[in-house]
Amino acid sequence: MTDTLHDHADPELYKGEPLIEMTDIGKTYGAVRALKGINLTVNAGEVTCVLGDNGAGKSTLIKIISGLHPHNEGTMKVDGKEVSFSSPRDSLGHGIATVYQDLAVVDLMEVWRNFFLGSEMVSGRAPFAPLKINDMKRIADEELRKMGIVVKDINQPIGTLSGGQRQCVAIARAVYFGARVLILDEPTAALGVKQSGVVLKYTAAARDAGLGVVFITHNPHHAYLVGNHFVILKLGQAVLDKRRSEVALDELTRQMAGGDELTELSHELQK
Amino acid sequence: MTPTRTRKRLTAAAGMATAAALALGACSGGGAPSTTSTGGGGGGGGNSGYTFAMITHETPGDTFWDRIKAGAQQAAKDTGATLKYSSDPDASKQAVLIQNAIDSKVDGIATTLVTPDALIPTIKKAQAAGIPVDTFNSGIDFFQQAGALTHFASNEKLGGQEAGKRAAASGATKILCTIQQTGSVALEDRCAGVKASFPNTENLQVNGADDAAVTTAIQAKLTEDKSINWVITLGAPQALDTIKAAQGAGRPEVKIGTFDTNPDAAQAVQDGKIQWFIDQQPYLQGYMAITQLYLYKKNGNVLGGGQAVLTGPSFVDKTNIAQVLPFIKQNTR
Amino acid sequence: MSSTPVKTDPSPSAPAEASNRVTLGWSNRLLARPEIGALVAAVAIFIFFLIVAPAFRSPASFFTVLYQSSTIGIVAVAVGMLMIGGEFDLSAGVLVTTAGLFNAMFCYQLGINLWVGAVLSLVVCLAIGFLNGYLVMRTGIPSFLITLGTFFVLQGANLGVTKLVTGSVSSPNINQMAGYDSLNWIFAHEWAIGSVTLSITVIWWFLFVGLAAYVLQRTKIGNWIYAVGGNAASARAVGVPVTRVKVGLFMTVAFLAWFAGMHYLYNYNTLQAGNGVGNEFLYIIAAVVGGTLLTGGYGNAIGVAIGAFIFGMTSLCIVYAGWDPNWFKAFLGVMLLLAVLVNLYVKRLSTTRKVG
Repeated sequence: MTDTLHDHADPELYKGEPLIEMTDIGKTYGAVRALKGINLTVNAGEVTCVLGDNGAGKSTLIKIISGLHPHNEGTMKVDGKEVSFSSPRDSLGHGIATVYQDLAVVDLMEVWRNFFLGSEMVSGRAPFAPLKINDMKRIADEELRKMGIVVKDINQPIGTLSGGQRQCVAIARAVYFGARVLILDEPTAALGVKQSGVVLKYTAAARDAGLGVVFITHNPHHAYLVGNHFVILKLGQAVLDKRRSEVALDELTRQMAGGDELTELSHELQK
Repeated sequence: MTPTRTRKRLTAAAGMATAAALALGACSGGGAPSTTSTGGGGGGGGNSGYTFAMITHETPGDTFWDRIKAGAQQAAKDTGATLKYSSDPDASKQAVLIQNAIDSKVDGIATTLVTPDALIPTIKKAQAAGIPVDTFNSGIDFFQQAGALTHFASNEKLGGQEAGKRAAASGATKILCTIQQTGSVALEDRCAGVKASFPNTENLQVNGADDAAVTTAIQAKLTEDKSINWVITLGAPQALDTIKAAQGAGRPEVKIGTFDTNPDAAQAVQDGKIQWFIDQQPYLQGYMAITQLYLYKKNGNVLGGGQAVLTGPSFVDKTNIAQVLPFIKQNTR
Repeated sequence: MSSTPVKTDPSPSAPAEASNRVTLGWSNRLLARPEIGALVAAVAIFIFFLIVAPAFRSPASFFTVLYQSSTIGIVAVAVGMLMIGGEFDLSAGVLVTTAGLFNAMFCYQLGINLWVGAVLSLVVCLAIGFLNGYLVMRTGIPSFLITLGTFFVLQGANLGVTKLVTGSVSSPNINQMAGYDSLNWIFAHEWAIGSVTLSITVIWWFLFVGLAAYVLQRTKIGNWIYAVGGNAASARAVGVPVTRVKVGLFMTVAFLAWFAGMHYLYNYNTLQAGNGVGNEFLYIIAAVVGGTLLTGGYGNAIGVAIGAFIFGMTSLCIVYAGWDPNWFKAFLGVMLLLAVLVNLYVKRLSTTRKVG
């Protein structure tokens, strides 16, 4: 399952090296203030969890990092250089791959087309150059098998895969194309127990391969299973910012201000 | 100003128009002749100072109404009057336009009477306000009821009947009558007229907004029914399309006649590709509708003797096309 | 669980999941292709009319149907691609007429070679296409509404400008002007082969369909078109330039509308200012009958071509069959509904679960 990661992870990533440094980041939409004074560092080989209830500002933060919206205040540095992304393509170009809650896949399109969307393999540089379809199908199939996803037909529409499988395809896509920072936006929110487990294992494997991972969730239990660093957002500001050694699961849960109460999910993860 | 002098004026105007048109015709080579469509020099008519309103049921984009308008404008020019033209294909809206004219206290109203029930009440109001009204183009059976001075029109059914007779005279075995718009009473009347005098007539609905659709539909019909050897179209563009359709169906012997005309169709008559066209002389309808109002205001003259004044049907074929062609080219027929 | 050598051994959970997956046999896959439903409908209608309409049974009639299909089909290809990309263009019908009117009036009034006018007309059309796309992307207003506005503007302009320039509602006859012969050959040539007339538009139609099919299925841009139509937000998130793709699609519609306009001009020589109105829906119908989803992201060029052919066949075969033409539109509607239903049924067949 994790071979893909080792094959594609950037060999020059050093554990602990800061990949993204956000200082005093703020964002307003017109008269509405979505974020204020956010400090966040994403280090290689670590999982930074961003928690918070709905409306806390998590998705705004992610949109800034992934290039969908630029920040109004503060500075963001990637690999030490100050940046402000103008589009997702920009952010991707810096090695930041985002896997969205709604998965950023196009349900009607085949699995292999989705896998290579935005990074298609073409023969030659002309605008209407032919796609290397056979190669793309083969690679997509191989990569997915390595992750333990066996699709009967790589040509089937991606909408026919289960939710967890689609998540993993999206993650595999991000990693395959050489992401250095992986942002997972509520990856387990819509998944059942077993599928959540698969995703969490994959997150841990990405971390171990040296990628910097930002894990957004409103589930402190899932966060605590994989996280090295925790940030809780409330109404656009950080109310907690601690490393794993400084905080216990109970406190995390309490700090979540009693938002979503977790009931029937109980997990066991062998670490 | 006596009627004779006015008539002399009109003749002079017509004469000058012919002369101008012929002269211009002689000077043009391929490409645009530098003439506009409203025909030759105005008769320099006096300054009567009248304002006349003309209201029709025109659907925008019809060449036919253009010529009516052109005639009306020329008549206004010739009599030194101002013309206010407005139109709406919807009957109730047309009634509102007539009301607008009454409110602006015009000196006379010329209107079409396509939906008598909707329009007659408002026409009566105009007359009650002392504004004379004459009608033209449609509603020949209702103008007396409306109390209009007179009615200038061609008779669509009559035109159809004549068309049927002419086709029969040149050996028609079965006639195809093509209708290029849906739900037009005038067009249906034309084909009904053809059928009245020539029972073996079949109608075909075609999409007048798409020449390819018209051509292929007629071509298909001519292929499907080999007994059809005459096609009567209700618009000049459709007649031109039929020439192509007959060729395409491998039946160039099929004869074509049409209602209304345009410069290309008129040329085709001269070249023998179309047998004749039937003209309502829309220019004349518009011209006379305004002139009648002028004469009534001036002298109390009324044309028609209680009957409608027919401006058509007038048939133009190879025998008289030569005289008429220049007028068609300058849009004054 | 964490250090299993994975290369040859999929994780134990995988086979269990695989057995729950729907097995898609090859016949299912074939039926799932968007154009198959349309093809089935086309064949059914074709056989039906062969039986019912004796006049249809000749090659000449078939080629007449092809010609009629091609005049709709050429623009429908682009409209279909635009619909796959998730947008509508209601101004395509009148744009065809705008292209021809511009060419004719510009050249006639200034006495310039028709080629100049044709090229300028193309520039004007592409600008209008760009405007459509730009307005849609910039304002976020549905393309249905934006292009409805463009439709009205063009309809009015076609009439108003023609009247202003020529004093009548039709363009002047340009067949005596310089450049006519060559342009007529390119856009309106007809070969007479025995009793059959083959119009060059049919060849152009096939060419454009082939090009569109290639672009959609086999190029990067085609992938992008399906993506922006299927889920524009997802596409944008992975770096697909959504705005550029959509504007490009609108400009493609404009290009093919210009092309069709050139055919109408050089084949019929004069154009009525009111022409083209109503055809915008025929292009959409051809695409939908051909299996294109109204919501975008699904369909292909072959299907659109079959849809155009179904329209051409139905509209003419009603005449070939000698049916009462007053009922023409009703018949056409019924046949098209049937075609769409067959399409849907075939697609349903293809997604029936076969567990095992």
